[in-house]
Amino acid sequence: MTQTQPTIRRMPPQIAQTASISATMLDVIVALLPALGMAVYLFGLRVLALTAVSVGSCVLAEYLYRRLTHQEDTIRDLSACVTGLLLAMTLPVTAPYWAPVLGGVFAIVVVKQFYGGLGRNFMNPALAGRALLMAFPGLMMNWVDAFQRPGLIEGVDAVSSATPMALLHEGIVPDLTVGQMLMGQHGGAMGAAPALMILAGGVYLRSRRIISLRIPAAFLGTVAVLTLLFPQGDRGPVAWMTAQLLSGGLLMGAIFMATDYTTTPVTPRGQIWFGVGCGFLTVLLRYFGSYPDGVGWAILTMNCAVWLLDRAGTPRRFGVRRSQQWLDYWAKLQDSTAQIRFVKPEFRFLARAGEGTMPGEGYLDELKGKAPQVGAMAGVLLCVCLMLYGVNRVTSYAAVRTETAAQQELLEQVMPQATVRSETPYHAEDALSITAGYNDTGLVGYCVEVQSYGFGGLMTVVVGVSTDGSVTGVAVTDHSETLSVGTQATEGEYLSRYVGMSGTIGLEGDNAVDAISGATETCRGITQCVNRALAIVANLSTGGEVDYVDGEV
Amino acid sequence: MPIPYLGGVHPAAHKENTRRKPIVPLDPAPKQVMIPLTMCTDGGADPVVKPGDKVTVGQVIAVPREEGVFVHASVSGRVTEIGPRPHPWGGQWDAIVIENDFQDTPCPDLPAPVDWERMNREEVIQRIREAGITSMGGGAAATHRRIRQAVGRVDTLIVNAAQSEPYITADYRLLLEKGDQVLQGVQMLAKLLRANRAVLAVSGEKLNAVEFLERRLRRRKRAVELITVQNRYPLGMEKQIIRAVTGKEIPPGQEELDVGCAVFNVATVYMMRLALLKGVPLTHRIVTVSGGAVTRPRNLWVPIGTPLRCLLEAAGGVREQPAVILTGGPMNGVVQQTLDAPVVKNTKGLICLTEAEHAPAVQPETVCVRCGHCVSACPMNLNPAFVYRAIRMGEGHRLPGLHLEDCLDCGCCTYSCPSHIPLQSLVRQARTILAEGEASQ
Repeated sequence: MTQTQPTIRRMPPQIAQTASISATMLDVIVALLPALGMAVYLFGLRVLALTAVSVGSCVLAEYLYRRLTHQEDTIRDLSACVTGLLLAMTLPVTAPYWAPVLGGVFAIVVVKQFYGGLGRNFMNPALAGRALLMAFPGLMMNWVDAFQRPGLIEGVDAVSSATPMALLHEGIVPDLTVGQMLMGQHGGAMGAAPALMILAGGVYLRSRRIISLRIPAAFLGTVAVLTLLFPQGDRGPVAWMTAQLLSGGLLMGAIFMATDYTTTPVTPRGQIWFGVGCGFLTVLLRYFGSYPDGVGWAILTMNCAVWLLDRAGTPRRFGVRRSQQWLDYWAKLQDSTAQIRFVKPEFRFLARAGEGTMPGEGYLDELKGKAPQVGAMAGVLLCVCLMLYGVNRVTSYAAVRTETAAQQELLEQVMPQATVRSETPYHAEDALSITAGYNDTGLVGYCVEVQSYGFGGLMTVVVGVSTDGSVTGVAVTDHSETLSVGTQATEGEYLSRYVGMSGTIGLEGDNAVDAISGATETCRGITQCVNRALAIVANLSTGGEVDYVDGEV
Repeated sequence: MPIPYLGGVHPAAHKENTRRKPIVPLDPAPKQVMIPLTMCTDGGADPVVKPGDKVTVGQVIAVPREEGVFVHASVSGRVTEIGPRPHPWGGQWDAIVIENDFQDTPCPDLPAPVDWERMNREEVIQRIREAGITSMGGGAAATHRRIRQAVGRVDTLIVNAAQSEPYITADYRLLLEKGDQVLQGVQMLAKLLRANRAVLAVSGEKLNAVEFLERRLRRRKRAVELITVQNRYPLGMEKQIIRAVTGKEIPPGQEELDVGCAVFNVATVYMMRLALLKGVPLTHRIVTVSGGAVTRPRNLWVPIGTPLRCLLEAAGGVREQPAVILTGGPMNGVVQQTLDAPVVKNTKGLICLTEAEHAPAVQPETVCVRCGHCVSACPMNLNPAFVYRAIRMGEGHRLPGLHLEDCLDCGCCTYSCPSHIPLQSLVRQARTILAEGEASQ
C-alpha cells in the first residue's frame, strides 16, 4: 500500500534507565556486604575464606563451562558472584572447604548453565547447591555459637550448638532478646545470623529499586500471620512469631533468595502469590518437616510453580473488570472442556500386522526390528539386578557378619562362660554401655564398657563382671598407647591377671595386679577401669527386680 | 496531593533547563518557512496559492480534503515553490515554501471575532476547522472532528496539561503565562461540549502553575476543576489520564467517548480560544528547545513551517555534537535525520540529546532475566516479557492471548528493561505477526 500522506512514525524511547544486569548484580553484592561483615565479626575469618572459595568456584565453573562449550563469556554480569555469595551465606561456618566448591559447581553448571544460563534456569542456583549439600549428613547441621570462631584450617569438628531454629523446631522459644536476635548473637548459618544487616541490605535493594516489596512482604507477612495464629512454646504468640521471623534463613531467603529475578514470577500478582506460597510452605516445613528450617525447600518448591503463577497472575486487561475477566476465563474453560472427546485407547504392541507378502511376515519384520531395543533393555535390566544383588550380598552380609563376629570375640574374651550377649536397659554414669552375658543356666554377669586415661590418652576397656562380683575377663578395645611396652599391657597375658579378682584392686599390695614396669600409667588406667566396672556392677540397682525381656543376639 | 498512578515509568524530568524560561518569539525570524500540506492525521489539504503569490500572516494557503483542516501562512511574503520537503513525521512530502519578507503583515480578511455563545454550534465547529486547529500534544487529530463527535456525549471534559515527557515545558509555560486565557478556553470548550465537569489535569511537578491557577480559579468561581496527577510518563496519553482523573478504564475496542470523557491538549484549547475570540488561526505554536546538547535551552513562539535549524540557532546552537535530535519528547518523539524539517502543529519540542543522555538507550541487548520491570511498567497491563519469550523462543502460538492490540506504543517496557531489550519493537513485531496471521486466514 502506498501512503498518500505522512503518518507519525512512532519511535522507541531515545532515553532509558541506566541500570544494567551487571549493575543490578553489583547492587545485590553491595546489599550482601553488611551481612557478610557481621558474619565475619561473629564467626571469624573462616567466613571470608569460605565465601572466597564459594565465589571463586562459582565464577570459575561459569567461566570454564562457557569456555568449553564455546559460548560467550558471561562472568562479567556478576551473576555467578552473587550465586557464590548467596551459597556461602547458607553454609555453616564449620563447613569444609570442599562443600562450597561442590555446591557452587553444581549450582552453576547443572542448575544454571545446563538450562541455558542466566535467565533460563528455573531453580535458584544457590539454594539448589545448598540442597545438594544437605545430602551430606552432619555437614549442614554442625553449627557453632557466635564468637566461637573456628580456625581457618582446623575447626571442622567444632562443637555443634543448638541454633534458635533447632529450638523452634522442638517447639521451644529460644531464650534470646529481640536485640540479640537482630544482632545475630546465636549460632546459625553464616548469613542467617545477623538479621539487622540483612534487613539493611533489603532496604538498600528497595531504595535502589532492584527488588519490589511484593515477594518479601508477602513471604514474611504469611509467616508472621501463620505463626501468630498457631503459636507454640510458653512465651505467647508474639514472642513465638518474632523468634520465627528473626531466626533461621527466613530473612535471607525472603530478601535475597525469593527475589531472584529469574526464578520468580514476572507478573505482580504472581509475585504476591509466590511470596504467600513460600511463607506457607516455610511454616509447614518448620512445624512438620524433619529439618529444622524449611525456607530453602519452600523457595525451591515455589520456584517450580513459577510457570503457573506467571499465568495465573497475568494482570487484568486494561478496561476489563475483574468479574468480567473471570467470566471470560470460565467461558474459555467450558469451551476447552467441551472439546475433550473420549478417544478409545489403542494398545497394539505390533503395529504392522498384515503387511508383507506372507501372512505374519509383518509381525516377523517388526519383531526383528524391535529385537535390539528389547534386548538392550533386558540386558540393562539384568545388569542392574545383578549389580543390586551383588552389592547387597557383599556389603550388608559382610558388615553384619564382621560386626557379630567382633562382638562374639569380645564376649569370648571378657566372659568365656557366657555364650550369648544381650543389651540391657541399665545406665551408669561412667559406663559407655552395659551388656549382659548369658549361658544355658541363665545370667552369667555384665560386660561394662568404661573409659579411662592411660599413658597415651583415652582408652576404652570392656570388663566382664560375673554376678558374684568377680572379674571374668578384660579386653581393651581402643587405646592410643605407645608400642612395645605400652601395648604389652593391653594384651591377653597381662589382662588375664585380672580374672577372678574382686573388690577394689590396687596396683600393689594384697589385692593387686602388678603393673608391668615401664607401662605403669597404662596399667593404672586399666586397673582404674576394672575398679570402676566392678563398682558399677556392684551398685547396679537390679536386685533381680528389673524384669526385662531377653533381647535378641 | 497528586493522584497516585501505578504503572508507567518515571524518567528523569530534566525540565529545570527550561521551566523558568519565558516564551519568547523566535528571533531571528526564519528566512523561509516550509508549510507541509499535511499536518493533520485526518486528511491532507490542497494548495490554493501558486508559486509567486504574495501571502500574509494567517492567510489560507490550502483547503482540506476529507476531514482535514485549513492551512494558513505563518509569515508574510511570497510563495516560491510547492514541492516535496522533509516532513518531521518522516519522509518527503509536499510543502508550500514561503519566502519571509519580515513584515509580518496580518491578513486583512481574518474572520472577525465571534460572539460564539450565540452562534450555532455547527458554525462554531466550522470556525475551529477554518482556523486549522489540530491536536497539539502528541497526535495530530483534527480538533473540529473530535468536538463534533463529542458534543452531547461527554460527561467529563479533561484538558490535559500533564505533559509527562521529559524536557518539554511548553505546556507549563503556557499555564503560567496565559493561565487566564487557558481557563477561559476550558470553560468555552466545556460549554461547547455540554460537559458537566471540566477538569484541567496538571502533573505534580508543575506546582508553581498549580498555585497560580488556584488563585485564578477562585475568581472564576471554580468553574474548572484543577486536578494534580503524579508525574509519571505515559500519563499524557488519553487512556491513562482518563483513568487517573475519573478512575474509568476504557474497555478494549472502545474509545474515550464511550466512557463519557473527552481529552484535549491544553495548547489546543488555548489556540481554539484564540481562534474564536480573536479570529486568529493557528499559525504559531510554543516549542521547547532543550536537551543536554543545546547551548541555551528555551521556550519559543515559533511560526509553523520554520525549519528546525532556525530553532536551534535561536537557542544558541549546540555546545556538543548531539547524539540524536528528535521532535516531541524523548520517550515517544520522532528522530530527525535532518534539521531541514519544519515545525508542524504537533511539534511540542525539539530535543538534542548528548551522547551521555542517549547512551543508555543504545546499549547492547543482553538476555532477559525475567525481572518483571516491564510488566510493572506497562500502563496497559500487558506482559512484554511473555512477548519476548514468545518471539525469541519461537512460541508464536502464545501471542494471541496477550492482548497486544491494547499496546499504546508508549515505550515504557523498552525504557525500563535492565537488559536493554527493545521490547517495544518486539511487541510491534508481534502485532504485525498477528495481523498477518489474521489476514491470511
